[in-house]
Amino acid sequence: MKRKTKRLLLNWRVLLLILFLTGSIATLALKPLTFGIDIAGGVALVAQTEHPVDSNTMQIVVTSLQKRLNTLGLRDITVEAQGDQIVLVKVANVSTEEQANQIKAVIENQGVFYMEFNGVVFGTGKDVEYVGIYQIKPDNSWAVPFRISKKAAEKFAELAKGKPGWPVDMFLDPPVNSLLVVSGKIYHLMNSTEFNAEAPQAPTLMERINRALNISAIAYSNQSAEEIAKLAQGKQKVVLIDVPQELQKELEDLNVTVSYIQRGPGESDHQLVVKALGLYGPYAVGEGLTVGKPQQDVQISGKAPNRVVAEQEASTIYTVLKSGSLPVKLNVVGMQFISPRLGEDFKNQALYAGLGALLTVLAIIYFHYRRWKIAIPVASTSLFEVIIILGFAALINWNLDLPSIAGIIAAIGTGVDQQVVITDELLSGDRSTRIARRSSILKRMGRAFFVIFASAATTITAMSFLLVYFVGTLKGFAFTTILGVLIGILITRPAYAEIAKYLLGED
Amino acid sequence: MSKPKKNSKLPATGSVKAKEREKLRFLARMDYKKMITYPLIVFIVALLLLAVHFPTLGIDLRGGVVVTAYGVQTNPDQLAKELSRDLGVEVRVESFTGVETSGVRIYAPAGTDPAQIIKIMKEKYPNAKYTHSEVQPTFGEIAQKQGMKAIVLAFIGMAVVVFLFFRDPVPSMTIIFSALSDMTIAVALMGIFGIELTTATIAALLMLIGYTVDSNILLTTKLLRRKEDTIEDAYLSAVSTGFTMSTTTLGALLVLWLISTSQTIDNIAIVLIFGLLADFMNTWILNAGVLKWYLSRKPQGGST
Repeated sequence: MKRKTKRLLLNWRVLLLILFLTGSIATLALKPLTFGIDIAGGVALVAQTEHPVDSNTMQIVVTSLQKRLNTLGLRDITVEAQGDQIVLVKVANVSTEEQANQIKAVIENQGVFYMEFNGVVFGTGKDVEYVGIYQIKPDNSWAVPFRISKKAAEKFAELAKGKPGWPVDMFLDPPVNSLLVVSGKIYHLMNSTEFNAEAPQAPTLMERINRALNISAIAYSNQSAEEIAKLAQGKQKVVLIDVPQELQKELEDLNVTVSYIQRGPGESDHQLVVKALGLYGPYAVGEGLTVGKPQQDVQISGKAPNRVVAEQEASTIYTVLKSGSLPVKLNVVGMQFISPRLGEDFKNQALYAGLGALLTVLAIIYFHYRRWKIAIPVASTSLFEVIIILGFAALINWNLDLPSIAGIIAAIGTGVDQQVVITDELLSGDRSTRIARRSSILKRMGRAFFVIFASAATTITAMSFLLVYFVGTLKGFAFTTILGVLIGILITRPAYAEIAKYLLGED
Repeated sequence: MSKPKKNSKLPATGSVKAKEREKLRFLARMDYKKMITYPLIVFIVALLLLAVHFPTLGIDLRGGVVVTAYGVQTNPDQLAKELSRDLGVEVRVESFTGVETSGVRIYAPAGTDPAQIIKIMKEKYPNAKYTHSEVQPTFGEIAQKQGMKAIVLAFIGMAVVVFLFFRDPVPSMTIIFSALSDMTIAVALMGIFGIELTTATIAALLMLIGYTVDSNILLTTKLLRRKEDTIEDAYLSAVSTGFTMSTTTLGALLVLWLISTSQTIDNIAIVLIFGLLADFMNTWILNAGVLKWYLSRKPQGGST
């Protein structure tokens, strides 16, 4: 008996299991598991690029986004590209709705920046050399100081010479090379001195954006979609402001890229124009800047209805100026938000559910065989399997999210099935004679392992496609299922066969 | 020393298993024509059901907003009415319960501001905990396409692997058809019980491929690779193993479903339960029937 036990413990399959088990427990003790945002709390955003991009561009998008979110002062960010159009952003430890919305704003800003004077672009985002800490005043106005290149400053000094009070405009993501279709009222406003700072003699906003950014505008007077599409030929897109929204659908049907600017509650015409153009300013040029001396330190400013919004606007500008522009515009198409307190509940629940499932397995296996000698090894092998999977997950810093946990459950489920196959093959030898048993045990085990390998191979094949082709959060599911099945067939199943042979006295 | 003890226990296991086998013996004696016909009828009924009542697509495939409030107990219809009135859009409310907590899920069409819903809910239930997600219809379309692609490719992959393992067209095709029928029946049941097709349930359907192939491979292996016993004995030994496997998995899934309040895990569990029930029929009746017919018309000893 003793010798047999010793032989079992020295069997390489059992040794391998013990080795992996202790390794996993040690890993888990030293390096705690990290949880996905759907458990630990946080926000997950799915962003889509405006058009499909190649993998190099995607890489630039991922790196820039990472940099941007870092400047926001957030920790635990993962940015992951999936396919040629989807970027998945997960930020842990985000606790408020406002923070989540700000992350969204930072992702959606492409960050193409222009500084314009008198219809001439004198600087872009590339000319921003340094961005200072933003300030917020008690009246909820904010300012972000930054330094522009010498070249841009000189160009500006020349342009602005002798033009005190003239408007300087700064644009963030303006609709470059587009056709604005606006209501008569808005058209009139853009063509008036409304946006001229202190210089009525300066060109109007409409003239300035036309010359600098190739944005032209027409007043809407019930033109048909076809007519508008004709006018927009050669333009990148059509922007609809304060006109019937039905036009958007009609133009889209004609294959025209359209964006419709939604008027927010209580937004004035002035605010609507500013929003549509991504305009900051116009700022009146101070007297000191009009004497031809280049000045590199400038600032961008704005005013918000309350402090929270002011903070958001300022930090978004700060982030965008600091990190530069993205090669393609991103739109957030999906967003999931989980508060950390709720995540704690999920963690406990997953634990209870796991324990409950394990006890159920123990009870049902006992019910079938009426032998603890079988039920306990089957259930504990499953437990070992979970521990080894978790150990691996901790080792490679895999974020355990709910789909990953479902994957572990799937792997354990097939694992129990396979142990039942092994057990039954061993037990079915009982009736035969002792000598026949010895030879048939190998054959029976061979057949059990044929079944096990065949089903493992199919599961792994099926899940690989999920791992490669699926976007979104289900990758974790596929990954843990494959990991679990591999650990099962390579480590725990062979060891269980040895233990079962020993316990059932077949060896 | 331990020998007598072990031997005294053996009959216990033997008799429980033997009783189980006795109960399942009627399956072994069933006429293979019936064994093939009945599951095919069920498959066709499932197809018809799908044509009439396909499961609705979830928020993540269709686009929309869902707000989940934990720790709220209320009449969902009443709440839906109030919210629809306050928001000006039609919302749907669903309640759920788990061991520790219960709550409601509020579904609103794409474009609704989730913050608005949460604001209104917070006025009514200040102590509840909220989570929300929103998906744009464009992304829903991508996810739909990708889901279809994943299922089709996984299915083809599975078929290739099964062919490679058995290298015999009839048994391989039967296994593949069983998996197809399991998925079809599971989706039809989802439609009947109002479970939405989401990325999570697509994952469950993929998982089903793995599970169903398990039992089918077991049966096929036992029948094709066994020379020493009669077909009936081989079948009985396989079906009793399969019965143990399925009940264990079903039990674990049921517990999972009862304990969890996470919709992802709940839906995965319930779809797997549907699929495993369908699989029981497709493996032990349909596949067994086909194999019986196949082996009876094949000359003796032709299988390895």
